[in-house]
Amino acid sequence: MSVKLRNPGWYRAGLYVVLAAVLAFGLSWAVRAAYGHDTYAHFLDAESIVIIGMIALPLAFLVGIGCFDYWFYWASGRPTRPEDHSGHGAHSWRDYFRPNTDHKVIGIQYTVTSFFFLFVGGLMAMLMRAELAQPGRQFVDASTFNGLFSVHASVLIFLFIIPVFAGLANFVLPLMIGAPDMGSFASGWTAYAPLSTTAPDGQVFFTIGVQFAGASSIATALNFLVTIITMRAPGMSFFRMPLLAWANFSTSLLVVIATPFIAASQFFVLLDWALGFNFFNAAKGGDVLMYQHVFWFYSHPAVYIMMLPGFGIISEVLAVKARKPIFGYRMMAFSLLAIVVLGFTVWAHHMFVSGMQAWIRIPMMVTTAIIAVPTGIKIFSWLATLWRGVLHLDTPMLFALGFLTMFTLGGISGVMLAMVPLDIHVSDTYFIVAHIHYVLFGGSLFTIFAGVYYWFPKMTGRMYDERLGRIHFWSTLIFFNATFAPMHLIGVQGMPRRVADYADQFAGWNLAISLASFALGLSTLVFAYNMIASWRGGARASANPWRALTLEWQVSSPPPVFNFDQVPTVVGGPYEYGVPGAVHGIFGPAKPAEVKATPAGTHAEPVRE
Amino acid sequence: MEAAAISASHVHDDHHHGPPPANRSSRVEPALLGMLLFIISEIMVFGAFFTAYFFIRVVADEGTWFPVDGKDLPKLIAGVNTAILISSSFTLHWAENALKLGNRRAFRAGMVATFLLGATFLFVQINEYVHIGFSPQDHAYGTVFYGLTGLHGAHVTIGLVLLGMVTIRAFRGHFSAEEHRGVEVPGIYWHFVDVMWIVVYTTVYIL
Ligand code: HEM
Ligand SMILES: [Cu+2]
Repeated sequence: MSVKLRNPGWYRAGLYVVLAAVLAFGLSWAVRAAYGHDTYAHFLDAESIVIIGMIALPLAFLVGIGCFDYWFYWASGRPTRPEDHSGHGAHSWRDYFRPNTDHKVIGIQYTVTSFFFLFVGGLMAMLMRAELAQPGRQFVDASTFNGLFSVHASVLIFLFIIPVFAGLANFVLPLMIGAPDMGSFASGWTAYAPLSTTAPDGQVFFTIGVQFAGASSIATALNFLVTIITMRAPGMSFFRMPLLAWANFSTSLLVVIATPFIAASQFFVLLDWALGFNFFNAAKGGDVLMYQHVFWFYSHPAVYIMMLPGFGIISEVLAVKARKPIFGYRMMAFSLLAIVVLGFTVWAHHMFVSGMQAWIRIPMMVTTAIIAVPTGIKIFSWLATLWRGVLHLDTPMLFALGFLTMFTLGGISGVMLAMVPLDIHVSDTYFIVAHIHYVLFGGSLFTIFAGVYYWFPKMTGRMYDERLGRIHFWSTLIFFNATFAPMHLIGVQGMPRRVADYADQFAGWNLAISLASFALGLSTLVFAYNMIASWRGGARASANPWRALTLEWQVSSPPPVFNFDQVPTVVGGPYEYGVPGAVHGIFGPAKPAEVKATPAGTHAEPVRE
Repeated sequence: MEAAAISASHVHDDHHHGPPPANRSSRVEPALLGMLLFIISEIMVFGAFFTAYFFIRVVADEGTWFPVDGKDLPKLIAGVNTAILISSSFTLHWAENALKLGNRRAFRAGMVATFLLGATFLFVQINEYVHIGFSPQDHAYGTVFYGLTGLHGAHVTIGLVLLGMVTIRAFRGHFSAEEHRGVEVPGIYWHFVDVMWIVVYTTVYIL
């Protein structure tokens, strides 16, 4: 038993959690004694225990289960046991329920857990639409409704979109750049999913949950950056990297730079609330507006954290499915970096009606209009990639094309919102809801679907059902538009967002929207069925069903436990589709004669296949 | 990083069933790079606190700052404390150089000196809190003062833990003129903590 308690695992995790609970109580008691209140007069006085506990318990759990062992070993100079591969790779489905050190297993764990939260968040949306189907009160009261949409948003942003992108990239990216695993920090961060599931609702819970989610997403981002910079295969120069790697590089930079701001903003809230600090107490010289500035300084870049990885997925899918080199490869890479930089200059466009200093409005309006430029460059480059390509219109491609159209609509409503007069008119109306969903559902979620279908054969070794995939796409596209397009209209007519009840004049549209949204919900079930059934009994997938050039398709499906027997050598760009004799990577050491320099972008005229 | 070094030394082992060694595509050590990127994150945390400082001092109340309610900040003591902390950066640098030259005695002495200087800084800082005469609950200026110096103090504490481990390992005979990554990476963090203090001291106490 004592060995079990000393070695990493569930037993030690349990022990540490108990110790942390004792510590939480002890610390709270000691601090209170120091301040002179030595008894807990009321149940509510125990709040400090809850707060310390909420920070200490998850940490203790992670330490116990062994997430930080690598660091402790490294810092104390003991061998970090690189030869122990017992926790590496999945040999049966049970291995997916254990901590693992294989980036592929972790990636699938993230992805599947995140999809669970997609269904949770979607169900909440259905509840809201049920309430909104008619004016007046149906099922829930105003405060429950309030809770519903807050949790709906936080669950889908923090527990679905951000982690699912991290999951997909975690699976694909090391394979793509020819690394045997994630970077050297990899052993210490299997923690995202168990961490995130501890983020329930309520202000304090939200606050602390964000701290944890923030810390783990920074850890993840550092991992990606270190992996991309230091572990690329020989010959894989920055400008031979697939754009998915570029996209995750840019996203990780955004995370590393921006996330500390939301962590700090939640820290201010916590200090004010729990210890009586005065960051936001105007009566004592604090400043409420400061919260909004700090919050949006993170949260605008955050919308790109939710979008750039999707841009990467689309570049992969479009080039392969159009059988053409990506148009303007370098511009694609540089526009990602431009978005990273410009993303930090526009935060106050969320505050036009907040009572902030008026002089900030015009500069923010201009920068917001400018940030649409690199995004536009990407859209036009994708269109040019499609131009005269040989389009293979299967499910991943359909979702990619769906993304292109829907996201463009969302971007256009975004630029409209950047115009101060219009924004003041439609702020806090359904127009905003429409914008958000065209960019997040029509944008991010469509790219996620495209990516999941595209890499499904690689991840599971099975093919998905193409017919069900197409049914899923068309029903999603139609009901998505039926749900969200009318919201532009009722928004401009003045229907406020975040309310459980509304004026009778909007009744007709709202009923239609609710019905469409239920159909949209149902269409997701087709996806769920397809994924589960195909994973269990789909046809076996070949190593490279899409005839793609990037490295992840050059190994078996699913890939071997250690990705490569030997790290490949990269001799050309990743998107030379239709270029005769083009090679991206070769296995075995390159003979000097074979290495012909074809950096991406400088390709010959493509040949139609 | 040591893990890489260890697995690299096993490459010639025929019974090896682990991953193929990763290609090293950058001359920068992964651990070093990770630390540098992490420091960017840390700078942004301080950035958020400085934003709060800026809003509360400049925007909210038109330039109200200490002395508030007749209580001023102890510029002089904090100045001496600043000198203490900065000198610890020099002793650390000296220790690292000594290690690279193979002078273990000087290395150990330098580490102990660095650790003690850092601990002194923290001690003086806590003493300052006790005698300063206002609390973060009194007004927003106190909140920002405790917020910024406290945040920095937390970083000093983390830095001290790292340095403490290095010091203990120094006495156990770890590290050598060739293997000094484990000193360098925490060292960079410590230099960062020092530089950050200069910024905090100038903005909060002097300006
Ligand atoms: C060309 C690009 C974009 C522009 C110019 C733009 C502009 C804007 C503006 C001005 C607002 C503020 C509306 C208001 O509150 O009055 C806004 C809100 C919002 N945008 Fe965008 N946007 C763009 C792209 C995106 C993308 C790519 C995403 C996410 C993937 C996104 C997500 C959101 C969200 C979630 C909100 C609502 C925030 C809230 O709760 O108030 N936007 N956008
Ligand atoms: Cu924004």
